[in-house]
Amino acid sequence: MDEGVERVPDEAPTVHRFPRRVYGAGREPDPRFSLANERTFLAWIRTSLALVAAGVALEALELPIAEGLRLASALVFIVLGLLAPAQAWLGWAATERAMRQDRPLPAPRLGVVLAVGTTVAGVLVLAGLLLR
Amino acid sequence: MTRGSDPVVDLGLQAERTALAWQRTALAMAVGALVAGRLAVPAFGAVSLVVVVLGVVPAVVVLEVSRRRYRAVHDALRTRGDLAAIRSAGGPIAALSCAGLMVALVALAFVLLR
Repeated sequence: MDEGVERVPDEAPTVHRFPRRVYGAGREPDPRFSLANERTFLAWIRTSLALVAAGVALEALELPIAEGLRLASALVFIVLGLLAPAQAWLGWAATERAMRQDRPLPAPRLGVVLAVGTTVAGVLVLAGLLLR
Repeated sequence: MTRGSDPVVDLGLQAERTALAWQRTALAMAVGALVAGRLAVPAFGAVSLVVVVLGVVPAVVVLEVSRRRYRAVHDALRTRGDLAAIRSAGGPIAALSCAGLMVALVALAFVLLR
């Protein structure tokens, strides 16, 4: 393993860094962890894009699925795709804040919503395929 | 370009992996916007071009941001210098969150209005 990057000691919060809610307290974490947090944020953004793409494709390609159920599943996918960037931002901020203050890392707030929502959307597609 | 001979400063290649994560996010946005624009043509005609622009412009911005951040982070890690580049992620992250929300809202409008 590598020897790691030195942890930056406490420094006075002189320069204003956005958002203050995150950077206003605590001390600098190992930069590798901040970068990992950034990649997790980006993964949530790509999740959002994938969810939105699924919803748009269902409707735009007029797939052979019962129309009401198809629209319902598309809407569920897109609403989840709307929630994912919120999770991306809130999760990034909460994790960065927790790392700066040596607190336990938060769980994804919308994890359950996304799991249930994706399941519901999948069931709607399945039902639509069977009922067409 | 004189960076070819830089030593590996971090065996975890954190800066490289983060830059690649930004780049594949940008590519996903660009490809998604192009495909969505094409799919929107039957329903919305020339207005579909708006979808393409709304997706491709942020994607290009993200690519440029990732390039600059990689340079800055890499240099900071190499010189053990000021890691301000890592600590100023809030702006790009907030902007990309907003872009993600906007993409989803455009998609919602598309599905409801078509």
